[in-house]
Amino acid sequence: MSQVHSNLHRGAWADWWDGTRRPDIWWTLAWFDIVLRYRRSLLGPLWLTLSMGIMIGGMGPLYSGLFGTELSRFFPHLALGVIFWGFFSNIVTDACHSFVNSAHYLKQGYFPITLFVWRSLSRNIIQFGHQIVLYVPVALWAGISLSWHALLFVPAFLLLIINAHAVGLVLGLVCTRFRDVTQIVTSMMQMLMFLTPVFWLPENLPGRARYVLWNPLAQMLDLLRTPLMGGIPDMHHWLAIAGWTVVSVVCASLLFIKYRRRVVYWL
Amino acid sequence: MALISLKNVSVNFPIYGAGASSLRKTLAASVTGGRLGKETGVTVVQALSDISIELNSGDRLGLIGHNGAGKSTLLRTLAGVYEPSSGEFTRQGTVASLIDPVLGIEVDASGLENIMLRGLVMGMSRKRVEQLTQDICEFSGLGEYVNMPVRTYSTGMLMRLAFSISTSIEADILLMDEWLSVGDAEFTEKAERRMREVVAKSGILVLASHSPDLISKECNRVIRLEHGRIVEA
Repeated sequence: MSQVHSNLHRGAWADWWDGTRRPDIWWTLAWFDIVLRYRRSLLGPLWLTLSMGIMIGGMGPLYSGLFGTELSRFFPHLALGVIFWGFFSNIVTDACHSFVNSAHYLKQGYFPITLFVWRSLSRNIIQFGHQIVLYVPVALWAGISLSWHALLFVPAFLLLIINAHAVGLVLGLVCTRFRDVTQIVTSMMQMLMFLTPVFWLPENLPGRARYVLWNPLAQMLDLLRTPLMGGIPDMHHWLAIAGWTVVSVVCASLLFIKYRRRVVYWL
Repeated sequence: MALISLKNVSVNFPIYGAGASSLRKTLAASVTGGRLGKETGVTVVQALSDISIELNSGDRLGLIGHNGAGKSTLLRTLAGVYEPSSGEFTRQGTVASLIDPVLGIEVDASGLENIMLRGLVMGMSRKRVEQLTQDICEFSGLGEYVNMPVRTYSTGMLMRLAFSISTSIEADILLMDEWLSVGDAEFTEKAERRMREVVAKSGILVLASHSPDLISKECNRVIRLEHGRIVEA
């Protein structure tokens, strides 16, 4: 009786690819998410750049005074920290809503669920694109000298995208089934912001507190930020993030294989 | 070649209330070895049970039944939204789901932008939508309004836009929840003609409706659903 046969039943890989291969859909939807939010404002998405600029411009002098660090060294650290942290935190919190907010789509026709994971990720990439441009004036002002090592940013960013997609699938699925998880994740991210060297410099940590740098977000932040500050990220961090990537991809695959077609029943 | 075949298909919905979807209760139940099982015991609603239908090209199937009889669930199952809980489901041919003609439409975007959004959501490629845009604009008769945000449209205008986009798709299987009809007299005639063309081009039509007149006019087969079962075929 519980035997199900359907010729629409495809392998998990095919289902994943079915959504992934349509960037025209998910990128357009993501683009409209951003554009429509600012449709009736004069500056449009430039507000993303401006409000981030105001925030780091205001925080820089204050925090460099508080920590007693030279502003030209501290300011790029803070600016990149805040921009990348905003990116991480939006990716994670948005991922919790990616299916719940697309319920009207998923219920009215067949859509591969990866479409909505990519939509929410690309919305955050567009947003990040508007904010990272602030790096240019900051780097010029601080006189950061970049070497070829700055190119290490590229593999780091790729690792971030892989992880963001995998975590996006996991959180999307789990948060659709258990609505409380969204709240847990949101409060965890708030706490992690202080445990990650977004504002403070890792070298100011007393030795016994260095374990906080084990958190994957701190490692990811180091991989992305250090090349842009003219340094080379710690080898340990590359290995750790490679490990986390394997974990997140495996978790995402397992959940996706098992529950990709159940999501719509949970909405 | 269009084909739909359902053999003893059932669809069960777990109903997760505020209680059951809470992690706390599931955790509590697992920690206490399921003694609190009653709290997480999910109510299951059998939306469709034991449905068997065989449809081939040329079939025009009408679904009738009271509210909650399972018409929409059956349409959505045919669309591939719900994977059957049991039974055999075979479907061949492309599907156009016109269950919700305004799906994908954003009120703050302009008419033109919405043609792209709605078109993509129906599964067309960007290129295909661009090719069709001119036709859709003309058919909708919205004129200069296509450049205005949809929130400035009247209900009738919005329906005209949605109708024009939704009916520009070609598919072997057409799924509809009520006939797409559009307000004002002048447009209705045009729309009716277009609707017939679309239906004529499709291999299979499945139409859920509350109107017996419409069903007897458009369909050559009728199924009455009651409590998720076929009571009359």
